[in-house]
Amino acid sequence: MSQEIAHGHETGRRPLPRRRSFPVGRAIAVAVVIGSLFIPLFTNEYTQYIVNLMLVYILVSVAFNVLIGNLGQLAFCNVAFFGIGAYTTGILMHHLGWPFWVAVLPSGFVGAAAGFLASVPALRGIRALYLAIMTLAFGELMRWVYIHSEAVTLGSTGLPVPRATFFGFALQTAADRFYVFLGITILVVLATSNLLKSKHGRAIVAIKNNELAAASLGIPTAHFIILAFLWSGFVVGIAGSMFAVLIGRVVPESFNLVELIQHFAMVMVGGVGSLPGAVLGAVTLTWAPELFRDFPGFEELFLGLLLVLILLFLPNGLISLVVRFIPDFKDKYYRD
Amino acid sequence: MTEPAKLLELKGVSVHFGGVRALTNVSFSARPGEVRAVIGPNGAGKTTLFNAITGYVRPTAGAVHFRGEQIQGLSPHVISARGVRRTFQNGGLFGEMTVLENVLTGLHTRTKSGLLGTLLGGRRARSAERESVAYARELLKLMSIEELEDRPAKDLSGGQQRMVEITRAMSTGAPLLLLDEPAVGLTPPVRDQLMAVIRRLATERGISVLLIEHAIDMVMKGADVIVVLNGGQAIAEGTPDEIRRNREVLDAYLGHA
Repeated sequence: MSQEIAHGHETGRRPLPRRRSFPVGRAIAVAVVIGSLFIPLFTNEYTQYIVNLMLVYILVSVAFNVLIGNLGQLAFCNVAFFGIGAYTTGILMHHLGWPFWVAVLPSGFVGAAAGFLASVPALRGIRALYLAIMTLAFGELMRWVYIHSEAVTLGSTGLPVPRATFFGFALQTAADRFYVFLGITILVVLATSNLLKSKHGRAIVAIKNNELAAASLGIPTAHFIILAFLWSGFVVGIAGSMFAVLIGRVVPESFNLVELIQHFAMVMVGGVGSLPGAVLGAVTLTWAPELFRDFPGFEELFLGLLLVLILLFLPNGLISLVVRFIPDFKDKYYRD
Repeated sequence: MTEPAKLLELKGVSVHFGGVRALTNVSFSARPGEVRAVIGPNGAGKTTLFNAITGYVRPTAGAVHFRGEQIQGLSPHVISARGVRRTFQNGGLFGEMTVLENVLTGLHTRTKSGLLGTLLGGRRARSAERESVAYARELLKLMSIEELEDRPAKDLSGGQQRMVEITRAMSTGAPLLLLDEPAVGLTPPVRDQLMAVIRRLATERGISVLLIEHAIDMVMKGADVIVVLNGGQAIAEGTPDEIRRNREVLDAYLGHA
């Protein structure tokens, strides 16, 4: 009845959408995970440390992307969540003697609580640049708290974190930590992917696209703004917990503005709004400084140049290059 | 008939923004299966009327009843979930999403995937999602726009966007649809087809359609009842024929002779 409306005046009509039977994207993800199980065979203690750091940053970047990419809010509270997660684990392990595996989830929950706190200005209608500056202040305020709560955080000397154990097994080497980190990272990234490819994730993206229209479809927009902040805080809190045991000492300076800019750059380089992009961005930017280590004094220059080149030629991030060859990695807000 | 004869009833609705009287004492009611057009010159308060019904603006005075219950003062998402759905004058599609995803988002309240089940990839959450995808595809087919499924909404033509937005609005089977200028910017043949779709929604599905429209010829052909707004007041209500002969309406549109 509405053929004319459907086709408009297009001349070259595209063929009917194909239903692909083989999930290429999923197959590649599984292959990458299986392949990564063998990474410790090829690394030494230092390179393995870098790989572990990548896993931490994958979570950081994936969660940051939920807020700035999917919800579309300039909420720069990521480094606050990161520090809060790290300090929670540091305090639980150093002061209370909890093992790492018990401290991980509480760190996530405290991160989520910080996420809830950070969502309040956004709910009150503070958006865009105003939200950006408020959330930046949140991160800086937390750094002040770490420095000045010496009784608990030991101030700028930092909080030593005992060696991690996992269900009684001491994680002696970087390779031991790797397998535990890998497990956590896979679970959390999978849960995030499930979230985004559901009605909950669609509601979050709908709010970014048109908040009024989202409400007109029965979506309680405030709930989903809170949900995005909660989940982001939870995931970055867990990343902070992993970071604490990885570095072995939680210091306030780890959570400064430069750190935040790195998180932001990971999302930008990977591709704003894309979960696989966030993973790619985290891996690329954690690894890149290692490339330039042989040129002392030029590291920042090369890194800056790399950033500019990527954003100049791939404004939609590295993921846009991947999507060109493997369309499965395009954002899809539903399961098929 | 179990359905009350008056699906929507406005009783003396006024909306004032400071000293500006956007709407003054507007009353009318809408029945199931009826296409009711709201016309009037620019600034007459048509969109404010829609905003007052759907919860985007709180009426300063008066009451809005839907299925016999007061709905004024409720949040837009609550009113929508009760069964009042709308489209927007300047296009309410989610540009980043595909057509299918837009319609799926329209099915938000109908998709029963719990948050925890979703995070853990539970079977029930997955099957609810699959069921919604299948239902969304059925709706696209019903509206003959199934070949647009994978197109990003921002790449669609004006007519296609209107069709998708109407599909998304009607997706949950809401008994009342408010369409804010669905035909703006469309060529006359496309406009006629759109009107045919709207008429079919009303006659075949018993949906009550409230429609803001500037294209008078389209309204005269397609509407059952016309409400004329001018300066925030409902100055006339009647069938297209009655409105055509109404002296006051002619004055409002043509100015005093």
